[in-house]
Amino acid sequence: MADTSVIVDRPPGAAADDHAVHVRGLRMSFGGTEVLHGVDFDVRYGEVFCLLGPNGAGKTTTLEILEGFRTPSAGRVRVLNVDPAAQPARLRERAGMVLQECGFPRQARVAELIDMWRGYYPHPRPLGDLLEVVELTKARKTQVRKLSGGQRRRLDFALALAGDPDLIFLDEPTTGFDPEARRRCWAAIENLRRLGKTIVLTTHYLDEAERLADRIAILRAGRIELAGTTQEVAIRAGLATRISFITPPALRHGEVTPPAGIDLVPRGPESVCHTANAAMTLRLLLAWAAENSLGDLAGLAVTPPRLEDTYLQLTGVTPDSCAVQDNGART
Amino acid sequence: MTRSVRLAVRQALLEQRSFWRSAEYALFTFGFPLMILLLIGAANAGSHLPGTAIPNTTVFVPGILAFGVIVAAYANLGTKVAVLRHDGVLKRIRTTPLPSGAYIGGLLASTAATVILLAAATGLIGWLAFGAEPRAGELLALASTLILGTVCFAALGLAISSVISSAESAGPVTYASFLPIAIISGVFDPTFSGLPGWLSRLVAAFPVKALAGVLQNTYAVRPFPAWDLVNLGLWTVAGTAVAVWRFRWHS
Repeated sequence: MADTSVIVDRPPGAAADDHAVHVRGLRMSFGGTEVLHGVDFDVRYGEVFCLLGPNGAGKTTTLEILEGFRTPSAGRVRVLNVDPAAQPARLRERAGMVLQECGFPRQARVAELIDMWRGYYPHPRPLGDLLEVVELTKARKTQVRKLSGGQRRRLDFALALAGDPDLIFLDEPTTGFDPEARRRCWAAIENLRRLGKTIVLTTHYLDEAERLADRIAILRAGRIELAGTTQEVAIRAGLATRISFITPPALRHGEVTPPAGIDLVPRGPESVCHTANAAMTLRLLLAWAAENSLGDLAGLAVTPPRLEDTYLQLTGVTPDSCAVQDNGART
Repeated sequence: MTRSVRLAVRQALLEQRSFWRSAEYALFTFGFPLMILLLIGAANAGSHLPGTAIPNTTVFVPGILAFGVIVAAYANLGTKVAVLRHDGVLKRIRTTPLPSGAYIGGLLASTAATVILLAAATGLIGWLAFGAEPRAGELLALASTLILGTVCFAALGLAISSVISSAESAGPVTYASFLPIAIISGVFDPTFSGLPGWLSRLVAAFPVKALAGVLQNTYAVRPFPAWDLVNLGLWTVAGTAVAVWRFRWHS
C-alpha cells in the first residue's frame, strides 16, 4: 500500500505533458499542520478520474491546488502542462471548475448567465450546445433563483463548460442531492465525458465513484492509499475474489474429499472460497469436480472484490456513516 | 490591456442591465434621493439662509447631490459587493480567466454611470423645480468634485463590504453607517445647526459634510473649502487602503 507505486500504467520515463494532470510529492501545510503528506497521481486525457475519500482527507485542498487557488508547500504539479499556482489565468482558459456551494448573480436568467460566461473565454462553446449538454434548454429563460438544486448544479456545469475547456474539475458534484437529482447529475457528467473532456472529481460517495470513474484514487488523511481502476484498486488492496457454488450432495455427505490447496468453506447450501488468484483456483476447482464426477458445479459464481470492501478496509468508515457525516465541511 | 478594457466595459453594461432589472435597487437608489429632493426642497423653496440673500435651495440641492453620490457609490456598491461575495459569485468569477481588474473595473464603471445619471437627475430637478443652479464658471469644479466624491465613496463602499458578515445585513449595515452622519451633517436641512461643539467637530471629520461643503461651494459663494478637500483626499486614501487590504473573493 505504498503511496508512490500505485500507478502501474504510466510508461517509464513519461513526460508530464502526456497527462492532463501530473502530481508528484505534493505536500500542503496550514499553519504548521501538514494536511497532504506527499501525494502522487496522474490523470490521463479523456478519462474520468475520481478522488475518493472521507471528509477531512484533503480532497478539496488537493483540488484547490490543481485549480491554482492554493500554492502547495512542496511538490510538482502540472495541469494541462501549466503550473497552476504560477499561471492561474492561463490554466483557467482551458480548465472549467465547479466549486462547492457557489452562487449565481441574483437577477440573471439561465441563458443570459451562460452567455455572459461565454464572453470571459477566448473560444467559447455555442450557447445552444451548452444548454443541451446540461439539459437546461427548456429552462433557458428561467430566473436562476427559481431553479431546483439539481438544475442549479447543472447550470454550474454549463458555466464550467462555457469556455470549451479540455479539463473539468468537479468538487463533490452531488453532495446533498436526492436520488433523482443525482442520477440526472451523473447523466450530465457522462455527457461531458462523451464530449471528450477530461474530468477530475472528488466525492465521498462510493457508488458515484464506481459509476462515473475510469480510475480512482483513494485519499485518506492526506495520503493516496491506492489508485487505479475500481477493480485494480480492490485487487491491490489485497482483497480476494469470491468463488461460490451450490454444495454438491456428494461433498455434503462426505463421499468426496474437498479439493487440496483450496480453502473451501461450506456455508449452508453454498460452498465459498476466497482467493487472490481466481483463474488458478477455478482451474483447480473444475479439475477436482471433473475427477469426482461433480459436473460443472451448479450455481458457480465468481465475484470480483468490490470497491466498497476496499474502501471499508482502508478507511474503516462505512459508506453510510460517511455520507451522513457530511456537514458541508471543506476537506 | 485592450482586452481588459473591453471586458470591463462589457461587465459594466451587464451590471447596468441587472441594476435596472432589479426594481428594488433602482427604485431605492434613484427614488430615495430624488423624493427627498422634491419633498424637502418644496418646504425650503422661497426661504433664505438666516441673515443672507442666499436661497435655501442653492445650499440644499448640492447637499442632495452629495447624498446621491453617497447612495450610489457607497451604499449601493458596498451592498452589491457584499452580496456578490456572500452568494459566492465573486468566488465563481475567480474560476474564469476574466482578469480581476476587468471585473472590479466593470463594477466601478457601472457605479460611475449610476452616479452620473443620478447627479444629472438631481441637478436638473433642482434647477427646473427650485431654480438652483451652479455659479457661473463652476461647472468644471462641480464635475471634478463629483468625480472625487465618487472615487472616495466607492473606495469606502468596497471597504465596508469587507466587514459585512452576511448578505441579509448588507443593506442595513451600509445605510446605518452613513444615514445618521448625513442627517447631522445637515444635507437634508440647509439651516441645520445647534449641535454641541464636540459633535460638530466629529461630524466635520467625516467625509459626508466635506463632500456636501465642496459641492455647496460650486452653487453658493462660501469660503473656499480647502479643509473639506483635504478631508475627502484623506478618506479616499484610507478607503482605498482598506478596500485593497481587506478585499476577499470569498466570504
